Amino acid sequence: MTQHSPETWLNEYGDLLYRYALLRVRSETTAEDLVQETLLAGLQSWSKFTGKSSVSTWLVGILKHKIIDFFRKHRHEINQSQMDESADDALAYQFDAEGNWQVDLVEWNMPDTQLDHQQFSKVFKLCISRLPQRMADLLFLCSIENVPMVECCELLGFESDNQLWVTLSRTRVKLRQCLNTHWFEQG
Amino acid sequence: MRQCKQIIDLVSQQMESKLPWSIRMEVKIHLLMCKNCHRYAKQLSFMQSELNQLEKNLSSVSLATPAKKRIKQSFKLAINESSND
Repeated sequence: MTQHSPETWLNEYGDLLYRYALLRVRSETTAEDLVQETLLAGLQSWSKFTGKSSVSTWLVGILKHKIIDFFRKHRHEINQSQMDESADDALAYQFDAEGNWQVDLVEWNMPDTQLDHQQFSKVFKLCISRLPQRMADLLFLCSIENVPMVECCELLGFESDNQLWVTLSRTRVKLRQCLNTHWFEQG
Repeated sequence: MRQCKQIIDLVSQQMESKLPWSIRMEVKIHLLMCKNCHRYAKQLSFMQSELNQLEKNLSSVSLATPAKKRIKQSFKLAINESSND
Protein backbone atom coordinates (compact mmCIF):
# COMPACT_ATOMS: atom_id res chain seq x y z
CA MET A 1 0.00 0.00 0.00
CA THR A 2 1.55 3.27 -1.08
CA GLN A 3 1.40 6.37 1.00
CA HIS A 4 -1.47 7.94 -0.95
CA SER A 5 -3.37 4.82 -1.92
CA PRO A 6 -7.16 5.20 -1.92
CA GLU A 7 -7.51 2.78 0.99
CA THR A 8 -6.09 5.43 3.30
CA TRP A 9 -8.33 8.29 2.13
CA LEU A 10 -11.19 7.76 4.52
CA ASN A 11 -8.91 7.75 7.56
CA GLU A 12 -6.68 10.52 6.29
CA TYR A 13 -9.18 12.94 4.79
CA GLY A 14 -12.64 11.72 5.84
CA ASP A 15 -13.02 14.19 8.70
CA LEU A 16 -11.61 17.09 6.72
CA LEU A 17 -14.05 16.48 3.87
CA TYR A 18 -16.91 15.96 6.29
CA ARG A 19 -16.32 19.28 8.06
CA TYR A 20 -15.99 21.09 4.77
CA ALA A 21 -19.30 19.66 3.59
CA LEU A 22 -21.09 20.09 6.91
CA LEU A 23 -20.27 23.77 7.05
CA ARG A 24 -21.90 24.28 3.69
CA VAL A 25 -24.87 21.97 3.67
CA ARG A 26 -25.49 21.95 7.45
CA SER A 27 -27.02 18.50 7.46
CA GLU A 28 -25.05 15.62 8.92
CA THR A 29 -26.56 12.94 6.69
CA THR A 30 -26.12 15.03 3.56
CA ALA A 31 -22.52 15.77 4.50
CA GLU A 32 -21.84 12.06 5.06
CA ASP A 33 -23.36 11.22 1.69
CA LEU A 34 -21.25 13.88 0.02
CA VAL A 35 -18.06 12.47 1.57
CA GLN A 36 -18.97 9.04 0.26
CA GLU A 37 -19.74 10.35 -3.22
CA THR A 38 -16.50 12.31 -3.24
CA LEU A 39 -14.34 9.34 -2.29
CA LEU A 40 -16.00 7.15 -4.90
CA ALA A 41 -15.62 9.80 -7.57
CA GLY A 42 -11.99 10.21 -6.52
CA LEU A 43 -11.43 6.50 -6.88
CA GLN A 44 -12.84 6.57 -10.38
CA SER A 45 -10.59 9.36 -11.54
CA TRP A 46 -7.57 8.38 -9.45
CA SER A 47 -5.63 7.42 -12.59
CA LYS A 48 -6.00 11.03 -13.75
CA PHE A 49 -4.51 12.47 -10.56
CA THR A 50 -1.35 14.21 -11.63
CA GLY A 51 0.17 14.96 -8.27
CA LYS A 52 0.32 18.67 -9.04
CA SER A 53 -1.70 19.35 -5.92
CA SER A 54 -1.93 17.36 -2.72
CA VAL A 55 -4.45 14.55 -2.51
CA SER A 56 -6.50 16.47 0.05
CA THR A 57 -6.73 19.57 -2.17
CA TRP A 58 -7.69 17.35 -5.06
CA LEU A 59 -10.41 15.61 -3.06
CA VAL A 60 -11.77 18.93 -1.74
CA GLY A 61 -11.99 20.07 -5.36
CA ILE A 62 -14.16 17.07 -6.16
CA LEU A 63 -16.26 17.73 -3.07
CA LYS A 64 -16.83 21.34 -4.16
CA HIS A 65 -18.44 20.12 -7.35
CA LYS A 66 -20.61 17.69 -5.42
CA ILE A 67 -21.78 20.54 -3.19
CA ILE A 68 -22.63 22.71 -6.19
CA ASP A 69 -24.65 19.82 -7.61
CA PHE A 70 -26.43 19.43 -4.31
CA PHE A 71 -27.50 23.07 -4.18
CA ARG A 72 -28.60 22.97 -7.81
CA LYS A 73 -30.86 20.02 -7.13
CA HIS A 74 -32.42 21.61 -4.10
CA ARG A 75 -32.73 25.17 -5.28
CA HIS A 76 -36.03 24.53 -7.00
CA GLU A 77 -37.58 23.19 -3.86
CA ILE A 78 -37.39 26.57 -2.21
CA ASN A 79 -40.36 28.80 -2.65
CA GLN A 80 -38.92 32.17 -3.56
CA SER A 81 -42.05 34.33 -3.19
CA GLN A 82 -42.83 32.96 0.24
CA MET A 83 -39.33 33.76 1.40
CA ASP A 84 -39.44 37.34 0.15
CA GLU A 85 -42.76 37.99 1.85
CA SER A 86 -41.52 36.86 5.21
CA ALA A 87 -38.45 39.04 4.72
CA ASP A 88 -40.55 42.12 4.08
CA ASP A 89 -42.67 41.44 7.14
CA ALA A 90 -39.58 41.60 9.26
CA LEU A 91 -38.75 45.02 7.85
CA ALA A 92 -42.24 46.49 7.99
CA TYR A 93 -42.28 45.70 11.67
CA GLN A 94 -39.23 47.81 12.35
CA PHE A 95 -39.51 50.79 10.02
CA ASP A 96 -42.20 53.36 9.39
CA ALA A 97 -43.37 54.40 5.93
CA GLU A 98 -40.52 56.92 5.61
CA GLY A 99 -37.92 54.28 6.38
CA ASN A 100 -37.05 55.39 9.90
CA TRP A 101 -36.92 53.14 12.95
CA GLN A 102 -40.35 52.68 14.55
CA VAL A 103 -38.98 51.92 17.99
CA ASP A 104 -35.62 52.49 19.59
CA LEU A 105 -33.27 49.54 19.52
CA VAL A 106 -32.27 48.30 22.94
CA GLU A 107 -28.59 48.13 23.70
CA TRP A 108 -27.42 44.52 23.83
CA ASN A 109 -25.67 43.30 26.93
CA MET A 110 -23.28 40.84 25.37
CA PRO A 111 -23.03 37.48 27.17
CA ASP A 112 -19.87 37.65 29.25
CA THR A 113 -19.67 34.58 31.46
CA GLN A 114 -19.00 31.07 30.20
CA LEU A 115 -22.43 29.80 31.27
CA ASP A 116 -24.12 32.84 29.82
CA HIS A 117 -22.39 32.24 26.56
CA GLN A 118 -23.32 28.58 26.42
CA GLN A 119 -26.97 29.44 26.84
CA PHE A 120 -26.73 32.23 24.33
CA SER A 121 -25.23 29.82 21.78
CA LYS A 122 -28.30 27.64 22.09
CA VAL A 123 -30.61 30.57 21.35
CA PHE A 124 -28.34 31.64 18.52
CA LYS A 125 -28.51 28.22 16.88
CA LEU A 126 -32.26 28.13 17.37
CA CYS A 127 -32.62 31.49 15.65
CA ILE A 128 -30.49 30.32 12.74
CA SER A 129 -32.61 27.19 12.39
CA ARG A 130 -35.70 29.38 12.15
CA LEU A 131 -34.38 31.24 9.12
CA PRO A 132 -35.79 30.24 5.75
CA GLN A 133 -33.45 27.68 4.19
CA ARG A 134 -32.00 29.85 1.47
CA MET A 135 -31.38 32.72 3.87
CA ALA A 136 -29.41 30.43 6.16
CA ASP A 137 -27.50 29.02 3.19
CA LEU A 138 -26.68 32.53 2.09
CA LEU A 139 -25.44 33.55 5.51
CA PHE A 140 -23.14 30.54 5.77
CA LEU A 141 -21.82 30.47 2.25
CA CYS A 142 -21.27 34.12 1.52
CA SER A 143 -20.73 35.54 4.94
CA ILE A 144 -18.85 32.91 6.91
CA GLU A 145 -17.21 30.89 4.19
CA ASN A 146 -16.49 33.90 2.01
CA VAL A 147 -17.49 32.01 -1.09
CA PRO A 148 -17.14 34.50 -3.99
CA MET A 149 -20.31 36.42 -4.89
CA VAL A 150 -20.56 34.99 -8.38
CA GLU A 151 -20.50 31.50 -6.98
CA CYS A 152 -23.04 32.36 -4.25
CA CYS A 153 -25.45 33.76 -6.83
CA GLU A 154 -25.01 30.64 -8.91
CA LEU A 155 -25.36 28.18 -6.05
CA LEU A 156 -28.41 29.80 -4.51
CA GLY A 157 -30.07 31.00 -7.67
CA PHE A 158 -29.87 34.77 -7.27
CA GLU A 159 -30.33 36.69 -10.47
CA SER A 160 -28.16 39.65 -9.53
CA ASP A 161 -25.63 40.77 -6.96
CA ASN A 162 -28.13 43.33 -5.76
CA GLN A 163 -30.78 40.71 -5.07
CA LEU A 164 -28.20 38.81 -3.06
CA TRP A 165 -27.16 41.85 -1.00
CA VAL A 166 -30.75 42.76 -0.20
CA THR A 167 -31.57 39.21 0.85
CA LEU A 168 -28.45 38.98 2.97
CA SER A 169 -29.43 42.19 4.72
CA ARG A 170 -32.99 40.87 5.34
CA THR A 171 -31.46 37.70 6.71
CA ARG A 172 -29.54 39.73 9.24
CA VAL A 173 -32.64 41.73 10.13
CA LYS A 174 -34.49 38.50 10.85
CA LEU A 175 -31.67 36.93 12.81
CA ARG A 176 -31.18 40.09 14.85
CA GLN A 177 -34.86 40.30 15.59
CA CYS A 178 -34.99 36.71 16.79
CA LEU A 179 -31.99 37.19 19.08
CA ASN A 180 -33.43 40.42 20.37
CA THR A 181 -36.74 38.79 21.27
CA HIS A 182 -35.46 35.51 22.62
CA TRP A 183 -32.32 36.59 24.40
CA PHE A 184 -31.64 40.28 24.83
CA GLU A 185 -35.13 41.38 25.79
CA GLN A 186 -35.36 38.53 28.28
CA GLY A 187 -32.90 40.47 30.38
CA MET B 1 -29.91 61.51 2.10
CA ARG B 2 -30.63 57.86 2.67
CA GLN B 3 -33.12 56.66 5.29
CA CYS B 4 -32.26 54.22 8.07
CA LYS B 5 -33.95 51.41 6.13
CA GLN B 6 -31.43 51.87 3.32
CA ILE B 7 -28.48 52.46 5.61
CA ILE B 8 -28.89 49.06 7.29
CA ASP B 9 -28.65 47.36 3.87
CA LEU B 10 -25.38 49.16 3.26
CA VAL B 11 -24.10 48.28 6.72
CA SER B 12 -24.79 44.65 5.88
CA GLN B 13 -23.24 44.82 2.41
CA GLN B 14 -20.12 46.44 3.83
CA MET B 15 -19.40 43.30 5.81
CA GLU B 16 -18.67 41.34 2.63
CA SER B 17 -17.76 43.93 0.04
CA LYS B 18 -16.02 47.25 -0.33
CA LEU B 19 -18.39 50.09 -1.16
CA PRO B 20 -17.37 53.24 -3.04
CA TRP B 21 -15.69 55.86 -0.86
CA SER B 22 -18.58 58.36 -0.97
CA ILE B 23 -21.08 55.74 0.18
CA ARG B 24 -18.73 54.55 2.94
CA MET B 25 -18.50 58.13 4.18
CA GLU B 26 -22.26 58.57 4.09
CA VAL B 27 -22.75 55.42 6.15
CA LYS B 28 -20.06 56.50 8.58
CA ILE B 29 -21.61 59.91 9.10
CA HIS B 30 -25.09 58.42 9.43
CA LEU B 31 -23.85 56.02 12.11
CA LEU B 32 -22.27 58.87 14.03
CA MET B 33 -25.57 60.72 14.15
CA CYS B 34 -28.11 57.91 14.41
CA LYS B 35 -28.22 56.01 17.68
CA ASN B 36 -30.41 53.19 16.36
CA CYS B 37 -28.37 52.49 13.25
CA HIS B 38 -25.22 52.68 15.33
CA ARG B 39 -26.61 50.02 17.65
CA TYR B 40 -27.76 47.98 14.71
CA ALA B 41 -24.29 48.01 13.17
CA LYS B 42 -22.74 47.02 16.49
CA GLN B 43 -25.19 44.16 16.89
CA LEU B 44 -24.49 42.90 13.38
CA SER B 45 -20.78 42.71 14.02
CA PHE B 46 -21.46 40.86 17.25
CA MET B 47 -23.64 38.40 15.32
CA GLN B 48 -20.88 38.00 12.77
CA SER B 49 -18.28 37.12 15.38
CA GLU B 50 -20.68 34.59 16.90
CA LEU B 51 -21.21 33.03 13.48
CA ASN B 52 -17.48 32.75 13.00
CA GLN B 53 -17.23 31.15 16.41
CA LEU B 54 -19.82 28.61 15.40
CA GLU B 55 -17.67 27.70 12.45
CA LYS B 56 -14.57 27.37 14.61
CA ASN B 57 -16.39 25.00 16.96
CA LEU B 58 -17.08 22.77 14.00
CA SER B 59 -13.36 22.25 13.52
CA SER B 60 -13.50 19.51 16.16
CA VAL B 61 -16.38 17.68 14.49
CA SER B 62 -15.61 14.35 12.88
CA LEU B 63 -17.41 11.65 10.93
CA ALA B 64 -19.62 9.47 13.11
CA THR B 65 -18.48 5.84 13.41
CA PRO B 66 -21.55 4.30 11.71
CA ALA B 67 -21.15 6.67 8.77
CA LYS B 68 -17.48 5.86 8.55
CA LYS B 69 -18.26 2.14 8.49
CA ARG B 70 -20.85 2.63 5.79
CA ILE B 71 -18.50 4.66 3.62
CA LYS B 72 -15.70 2.16 4.17
CA GLN B 73 -17.90 -0.69 2.97
CA SER B 74 -19.09 1.04 -0.16
CA PHE B 75 -15.55 2.14 -0.86
CA LYS B 76 -14.17 -1.39 -0.50
CA LEU B 77 -16.82 -2.64 -2.84
CA ALA B 78 -15.85 -0.03 -5.41
CA ILE B 79 -12.15 -0.86 -5.07
CA ASN B 80 -12.82 -4.56 -5.63
CA GLU B 81 -14.96 -3.79 -8.64
CA SER B 82 -12.34 -1.57 -10.18
CA SER B 83 -9.57 -4.12 -9.61
CA ASN B 84 -11.69 -6.76 -11.34
CA ASP B 85 -11.95 -4.65 -14.46
